[in-house]
Amino acid sequence: MVRMMLRFDNEKVHEPVTSQVILEEKIPLNIMSAYVNQQGGEILIDVDSEHAERLAKAFRKRGVTVDVPKLIEKDEVKCTSCGACVSLCPMNALKYDPSNKVELNEAVCNGITCGLCVDACPVRAIRLLG
Amino acid sequence: MPASILEGKNLKSNNQPSKKRTIEEINTKIRKGDIQVLPVSEFKKLVDSKGIQVAFNEIDVVTTGTFGAMCSSGALINVGHSDPPIKIQHAWINDVPITHPGAAVDLFIGATIGSETKGFEYGGGYVIEDLVKGDEVELRATAYGTDCYPRTEVETTITKDDLNQFILLNFRNGYQRYSCAVNGRDEIIYTYMGKLLPKYRNATYSGAGEIAPLSNDPNYETIGLGTKIFLGGGQGYVIGEGTQHSPSTGYGTLMVKGNAKQMNSNYLRGATFTGYGSSIYIGLGIPIPLLNIELAEKAAIRDEDILTDVIDYGVPRRGRPTLRKVSYKELKSGKLNLNNKEIKVSSISSLEKAESICRELASWIQQGNFTLTLPVERLSQEGQAKPMRQTKGGAAFVDSILQKAVTCEETEAIETVAKRLITKNVNHIVVVDTNYKLTGIVTSWDITKAIANGVKTLKEIIVTRVYTASSNEPLEVVAKRLTQHNISALPVIDGTQKVLGIITSEDIAKLVGGNING
Ligand code: SF4
Ligand code: SF4
Repeated sequence: MVRMMLRFDNEKVHEPVTSQVILEEKIPLNIMSAYVNQQGGEILIDVDSEHAERLAKAFRKRGVTVDVPKLIEKDEVKCTSCGACVSLCPMNALKYDPSNKVELNEAVCNGITCGLCVDACPVRAIRLLG
Repeated sequence: MPASILEGKNLKSNNQPSKKRTIEEINTKIRKGDIQVLPVSEFKKLVDSKGIQVAFNEIDVVTTGTFGAMCSSGALINVGHSDPPIKIQHAWINDVPITHPGAAVDLFIGATIGSETKGFEYGGGYVIEDLVKGDEVELRATAYGTDCYPRTEVETTITKDDLNQFILLNFRNGYQRYSCAVNGRDEIIYTYMGKLLPKYRNATYSGAGEIAPLSNDPNYETIGLGTKIFLGGGQGYVIGEGTQHSPSTGYGTLMVKGNAKQMNSNYLRGATFTGYGSSIYIGLGIPIPLLNIELAEKAAIRDEDILTDVIDYGVPRRGRPTLRKVSYKELKSGKLNLNNKEIKVSSISSLEKAESICRELASWIQQGNFTLTLPVERLSQEGQAKPMRQTKGGAAFVDSILQKAVTCEETEAIETVAKRLITKNVNHIVVVDTNYKLTGIVTSWDITKAIANGVKTLKEIIVTRVYTASSNEPLEVVAKRLTQHNISALPVIDGTQKVLGIITSEDIAKLVGGNING
C-alpha cells in the first residue's frame, strides 16, 4: 500500500475529480481522511503499490497536487545505528546498509497503525508524524 | 582509511619465518610514523587473502572496538568547594539523584539513575552526555551542616570546565560475548536487551563479535590492568577485570576509566530502555600489539567461531532457559533459525560505530598520537561469577503454592459443574480436554449468571482466551499479571498446555501475609 495526499484548489474542489479518476482508471482506493471547504480540500488515500504511479499521474493530469506524506521521521544525528529497531519492523522499512548503518525507508512504513519501533529506540531518534 | 594505510606504504611482502616484536619496537615505529596498523576487520581480510604468516609479518598492531549500552557505568566528579563550604549529603543534577560516596564534594553520577521529574526518559547517562557536550547542568545539594562544613544548601549551574575531575568509570565493559535474547511469552516484554515481541517473533543480541576487543585476545595476554584504550572518543585505561568477570564460561569483562573531559557525544550517549530504565552507550576501542604469531592467529578469529546462547528472556528467572547455540555470523546475517522458523534478529549495540572506533583508533596510532602499553598485571583467566547468597526469605515461585485444579470438560452439564463448585468450595473451574490440556476457564460468577439467564450448555459460557502461569515463575510476576488483567486466578500449565494446577490471588495474599508476620 502507498499513502498519498491529494490537494484540491478552490476550483477543483467543485469538480467530481476523485470519482472520475476511480471510474476511468478503474483503480480501487481507500479514503483514510478528507477535509473539504470553499477554499479547497485534502484527501488522504491508500492505494495498492502497483497502481500508485498510474493513479498519481491521473490526478496530476487533472490539476490535483499529489504528495506522498511522511509518516515517520528518523533523526539521523541522534541515531547510533544500534539496530534495536530493526528486528521489530514488520515491513522491513528499517534495515542495515552494507556498512551496518541503519536506514529507514519511509515509503514502506505503516506509520501510526504500526509504531512498533518507536519506544524501542534507546536514543529516541524515531518519531511518528500525523 | 584502512586500505590506504596498506597501499600508501611500500610493504615488504615477505614469507620469512615468524619473528617477534616488542612493545618498545612498536612504540618506536609509532613515533617515527612508520607503524603498520589495521582495524581488525581489515586484518582478517588480509589473513584470508595472504595467509596468517604474511599478515603477521606486515602488520604490527590491530585495533578492536565495540559500542554498546553499558549500564554498569558512571562518572566520578569533584565539584570544588563552595563558600562557606558544604559537606554534601544529598545531591541532584538536572533532577537526577547523584550519589555522594566520599568526602565533601566528590559525587558519583550513576548511569542508570532516573530523573525525579522525567522518569526513565532522562537519567544519569544523559547527565554525563550533557556534561561531555559542554552543556550547563543544574546542581542542587543539601547537607546537615557541621562545624567545618556549615552550609546546608547550595544551588548552582556548572559545566565540565568547572569540575576539578570528571572521570568516566565503567565497572563492567567489553563483554567477551553476550547472549541473544528472545521472548516465549504471549505478550511484548521490554528488557535491557530491547523490546522483544511475543512468541519468539524477533531476537536481539549485543556485542561486536569478531571485532570486539576480548574476542581477539581471549586469554587476556595484551589486555589487562594498565592497557591504554580509546574510551568515549578520548583516551582511557583498563583498570582491572570488570564486575562479574567470568573467564571460565567465556564471558570475560573489563573495568575501564578515562578522562571524560576529552570525550565526545559521538561515542558516548545517554539512552533509555523503555520499561527498564535509563542507561548509557559507550564506545570502547582497544589496540592489540601483534607481538608474536600466536597473537596474530587469535586476532584472525571469525564470527562463525564465536558462539553464544539464545536465551528466553520471557522466563523471569536467573537461570533462564537456553534454546540453542548460535554464532555471531548467523546473528549478523539478520536471520535466526528458531524452532524451525526463521525470525528477524538485530543487534542493540552499534556495529557501524564499533567499526568507526576501530578506524579512528587506527588513525590515532598511525599519526603518532597514541602509543601502546602492556598490562602491568594480567586479568584472571579462571573463575566465574557467583550468584547472590540469599539468606532471608528467598523469592517464592508458583510451584510453592500450586493447588490442584478442579476441572471439567466442556461437554458436561452446567448443573453438574455448578454442584462441583459447591462441593469443592472453589470459584474457578479449569476446562480441559480428554488429555488434560487447557481449553478454557469458568468462574462461579459465570455459572450463576448462566443459570439465571437460562443458558443451556457450558460451551456458551466458557472463557477460552485464558491468561496462564508456568510453575517456575516468581509470584511477583504472577501477581502483577493478575492485577493487570483484573482477574483472580490463573491456570498453571506446562509447555504442552497440560494443566498442572491453579494459582489464585487469595493464595498469593496468604503467602505474602505469612512472610510479613514471619
Ligand atoms: S512504524 Fe512499524 S512499519 Fe514503520 S518503521 Fe516502525 S516498525 Fe517499521
Ligand atoms: S533503535 Fe534508534 S538509534 Fe538504534 S538504529 Fe533504530 S533509530 Fe537508530
